[in-house]
Amino acid sequence: MQEYNNVSVLIVGAGPAGLATAITLKNQQPDLDIVVIDKAAGVGNHNLSGAVLEPGAIAKLMDPIDPDWTESDDAKGVLLSKVNKDDIMFLLGKKLAFPIEIVIKMAKAFKLGFGQMTHSGDYICSVSKLTTWLNKVAISLGVEVLYGFAAEEILWDAEEHIATGVKLVDQGLNKEGNPERGYLAGEVVNAKTIVIAEGCDGLLAEKFVKRAGLTRQAAQLYSIGVKELIKVTDEQYKKFGEDRVVHAMGYPIWTPAIGPGMFGGGIMYPMGDNHIAVGMIIGLDYKFCDFNPQDALTRFKGHKFVKQFIDGGIVTEAGAKMIPEGGLYAIPRCPKTETIGRSNVMLLGDSAGLVNMCKIKGMHNAIESGIAAANAIAESIDEPKGLARIYTLKLEQAGVLKEMATAKNFRQTVAKFGNLQGMPLSVLGGWLPKFNIEPDYKTLTTSKYRLKPSVKFDKDTFTAVAATEHREEEPCHLLIENETICRETCLGKFGAPCITFCPAGVYESVQGQPKAANPSNCLHCKTCQRKCPYDNIRWTVPEPNGGPKYKTM
Amino acid sequence: MSHYIVLVKQVPDVSQITDNAFDPKTGNLIRTRLPSVINELDAQALAFAHHMKTISGDTDGKVIALTMGPPMAAEVLRYSLGRCADTAVLLTDRALGGADTVATANPLAHATQKICTELLGGSNDYYIISGMQSVDGDTAQVPAQMAEELNIPCVPYATEAHYKNGQFTFTRIISGGSQQVQPLSKPAIVTIAKYEHPLFASFARTRKGNQMDLIQWGADDVKATAVGVTGSKTRVIRVFPPGKTTRKCQQVESTKELAKIIVTNLAQNSDPKDTGAEQSPDYILPKKRADKLDRRYEGTVKEMNDFNLLAEKLKELNITDIAEVNEKAKEKILADKSISFHKKTLDDMLNGLALSKPEYSGEVWVMAEHAENNINDATFELIGKARELADSLCTVVGVVLVGDQVKSMAGDLIAAGAGKVYLIEDSVLKNFDPHSYRTAVCDVFNKYQPQIVLYGATPQGRVLAPMVSYRVGCGLTADCTGLDIRDSSRKGQIAILMQTRPALGGNIMATICTKDSSCQMATARPGVMKRLEADANRKGQMIEHSIELTESDLSLTIISTEKGQGNVNFDSGVIISGGKGMQNQETFNRLLSSLCGSIRNQLDVTVEQGATRTAVEQGFAERIHQVGQTGTAVGPKLYVAIGISGAIQHMIGVANTECIIAINTDPNAPIFKQCDYYIVGNAEQVVPELAETIKAG
Repeated sequence: MQEYNNVSVLIVGAGPAGLATAITLKNQQPDLDIVVIDKAAGVGNHNLSGAVLEPGAIAKLMDPIDPDWTESDDAKGVLLSKVNKDDIMFLLGKKLAFPIEIVIKMAKAFKLGFGQMTHSGDYICSVSKLTTWLNKVAISLGVEVLYGFAAEEILWDAEEHIATGVKLVDQGLNKEGNPERGYLAGEVVNAKTIVIAEGCDGLLAEKFVKRAGLTRQAAQLYSIGVKELIKVTDEQYKKFGEDRVVHAMGYPIWTPAIGPGMFGGGIMYPMGDNHIAVGMIIGLDYKFCDFNPQDALTRFKGHKFVKQFIDGGIVTEAGAKMIPEGGLYAIPRCPKTETIGRSNVMLLGDSAGLVNMCKIKGMHNAIESGIAAANAIAESIDEPKGLARIYTLKLEQAGVLKEMATAKNFRQTVAKFGNLQGMPLSVLGGWLPKFNIEPDYKTLTTSKYRLKPSVKFDKDTFTAVAATEHREEEPCHLLIENETICRETCLGKFGAPCITFCPAGVYESVQGQPKAANPSNCLHCKTCQRKCPYDNIRWTVPEPNGGPKYKTM
Repeated sequence: MSHYIVLVKQVPDVSQITDNAFDPKTGNLIRTRLPSVINELDAQALAFAHHMKTISGDTDGKVIALTMGPPMAAEVLRYSLGRCADTAVLLTDRALGGADTVATANPLAHATQKICTELLGGSNDYYIISGMQSVDGDTAQVPAQMAEELNIPCVPYATEAHYKNGQFTFTRIISGGSQQVQPLSKPAIVTIAKYEHPLFASFARTRKGNQMDLIQWGADDVKATAVGVTGSKTRVIRVFPPGKTTRKCQQVESTKELAKIIVTNLAQNSDPKDTGAEQSPDYILPKKRADKLDRRYEGTVKEMNDFNLLAEKLKELNITDIAEVNEKAKEKILADKSISFHKKTLDDMLNGLALSKPEYSGEVWVMAEHAENNINDATFELIGKARELADSLCTVVGVVLVGDQVKSMAGDLIAAGAGKVYLIEDSVLKNFDPHSYRTAVCDVFNKYQPQIVLYGATPQGRVLAPMVSYRVGCGLTADCTGLDIRDSSRKGQIAILMQTRPALGGNIMATICTKDSSCQMATARPGVMKRLEADANRKGQMIEHSIELTESDLSLTIISTEKGQGNVNFDSGVIISGGKGMQNQETFNRLLSSLCGSIRNQLDVTVEQGATRTAVEQGFAERIHQVGQTGTAVGPKLYVAIGISGAIQHMIGVANTECIIAINTDPNAPIFKQCDYYIVGNAEQVVPELAETIKAG
């Protein structure tokens, strides 16, 4: 049985980046044993995005597999339509909406950073569906994609500077952490090379960054995206249009002068079958201690412009996920060699933070990074210690890092100067010096969100349609380092904001003690470990097969 | 060294049923819209087998996963290989498609024999482990029928395995308690009612399993003797969406409002109970019908309309005797544009119209079930139903009473409506043993040849019925909620039993009838059929049937029986039940007692505590309090469900309740669609408030 614990290439995470690696590599080297593991119970279950996808990367991935891939039913079913109408709106108050594409288009004409924020010609797609398709392609090539396996620890040989494998999470512990009947200790998977493509704020990625001594020039910044899939009437759907996307700025998270002043915006994408995805993305550097991103979603949905398309609709799916927004400076690298990863371990996609904040898109870069990693492995599997170096070089050659450079200071500029000054200032892009921006958890104040809806957001329904669950008897995967702080400091000062901001209602105050009372509701967005004002929450890997079951997110 | 053959089945994931899964026009479930998963109880069976192997300490014992299904069912075998199976066998063949439980049990039984000779070196030291039932079929028949085909002991409803001195013993659920048993011979079948110790997939095993070749057999390979549609003893007449629930499903915002609802509901007089079963006109045999052409008792609406159309046409042509219909008349009929059937159909219909002799003959029987010298409620309900069927068929209701010194109960059966009581007494029949009971029942059955036999869908009935029916070669339909005598004239069948039952976790309804059998058998859900008012003046006949039985007719040793503690009065006006959501025993007891107390004292009604199976398994309450399919079916005036999700197995046990109130934190709890009033909230908060409000008047 032991031989089955050894693999040549272990890819952690079956998202666009990981599957792109597997597909490209298996296509080039059919005899190589490649195993992809994912903590979700099934394909696409933990994948959430907007999403619009630039056509370049997916073509680069699929062309070598099947030149006629655009004609396949799978591709057609996933890449629903190309964006024809690209609305960028500025919302003012509950009723007014002004189109501002012109500003973006002018910026584009002058080659300014945020001019990249256009989507014409991009595919509208659901990333759960995209990964379902890529999973099928990978399997048909002979890749082993195994769902229900969660990596907990990277086995890093500090002397040889090489990873030997990963340890999977223990299964079958009870609430107290003792083995129950059926207990299965986390197996060790030995691998020649490890591709970490876990998505944003990856557990294994962050452990690897620490073990291997990778550093970031600037702290990673995050946004939280909350999204609902709403089934609307034929008329509403037709009125919205199948080839249109809406991005909105302004209300309810930012208004000039009177506030609030948060980074982010709303999105509306048509997802086929009379479903419209409505989402809100908020920079986690917000300061209001009573703020819940879902409140902003409620306000957004209530805005006259949005409401006309979704009024009376039924929420059929929902979910939440973080986005790494720090950009180029926040990519973890080896301090000496500047490789993204180290030795035989590579960091891909959101795990590396390859999101272009000017475009607010990262999926194309995730796929590009997958192709780069595959090419690196194909070139040098027998000398795995050089893989991170070759991979970084290939990312460079693919133009990914160059693209990241155009947006390198965008998010930090906005964070430092606020939207009104920051956006225009970001025009200066690369010329501005690198700022030191505080991590998101330090920005919280005691001030209140003035647009808080009077009705509490219905988190129970939200998690129910996200179909999230964990084994009830497993140990709580959300650790609070010091409960006294929660009880005696945070609760009084901030009102324990985790209770409010957690989109799944995991946290509750039980007899005066804030705690992760409902861990089985967790959506794996990890906001809690990045926004707890005392940096007091640690998100550990739960047993696999838990978490949401996204289908069209 | 014991080996383990685990039966696994691929089923649609009914937990993920959304409105999208139903055809908006027909209301039928579109199965392809649901993901396929391993049947949950089969996953538990796999863990159970693994546990047996572990406690036996014998690491060389083999675990073999066996499934029957389309090629796609290989997925559940991979699932099994990734956890504990060493080998996997896929029984797949087009010829096996469309099988009912008989034509499923038969090939599976033959496959296990082939496994025994080819994979286990002919050793008889093995156990067949299976989930008690599947979520799509819900019948629980296949394992018992396999036991019958293989003539081996069956341990139904097991929850735990023990190993001592080289021997396995099992804990199993019985009505109102549990039992420790040991099968008297090997191999034996063990069906799992609940074993919630998950078995996790191992990385290495999963990889190995994915790369392994599955053993694939067809129907001929295993030499099955009953396969596919032809080997089946039942056929599905129609599938239809369940009727919209008559429950109000109203959300209540405050505990004050809820208290008011409770008070007003208890003050009202009872409405006649709506059983949820389809109300149909009583059946009249063709020879007693005033109009010979009257065919209003067809099984489906379409056939009824077709026959009406034909009757009208015949009347138009002035034909009153079917024999008068000649070729010319047929042409005339077929020429009518409003008639859309073919000539062959017309011939079949005319032949059907000429028929008046019922398809079956004999009495309508009910299998009595009893405990501690009391006939259970399900039996009385069945007698009520049997009376209705027997009256339509102009025959007698016979009740079979099996046991040791049970004669004294015959009077109750007659008072409840039995025309005859067939009494079989023997000391070997003291306790229910599937084998000795089925031997006794088959014997009396063969002598008197009834046309219908009804069993309660209780833990006992659900084992006995499949064994008896399989042995005597008759079809069986499980868990019926509707039983009606109807004609299927076009198929030449008059006065057959239409058996209607929910399937797929209650998401669809199916009407089924028996085929290629001498008798029609069904188990019926307790609490659905109506019992007759007991009448001591009813007269009946007692027929003593004797049979030679010895200890060798037993299949299980009963080591101990534990009945739940204390007395439970489920005839109370109010039943307050708690589920898994109650977190622990302390909360369960505290919240339930406080609410029971305040309702009892303030509103002067009898109140009893109930529990779900999960709550019982968690140790929150004694088994005797269990309400539901494997517990007791109840029908109080008011049922308060606290922290109960609303699993179908529980809800069918409360179907007869007048008013159901649900308290749950999960706004999407299925129970909210099956109750009258609900409140979304934490029991810890809602229940004490509610108790206080009621107490305050």
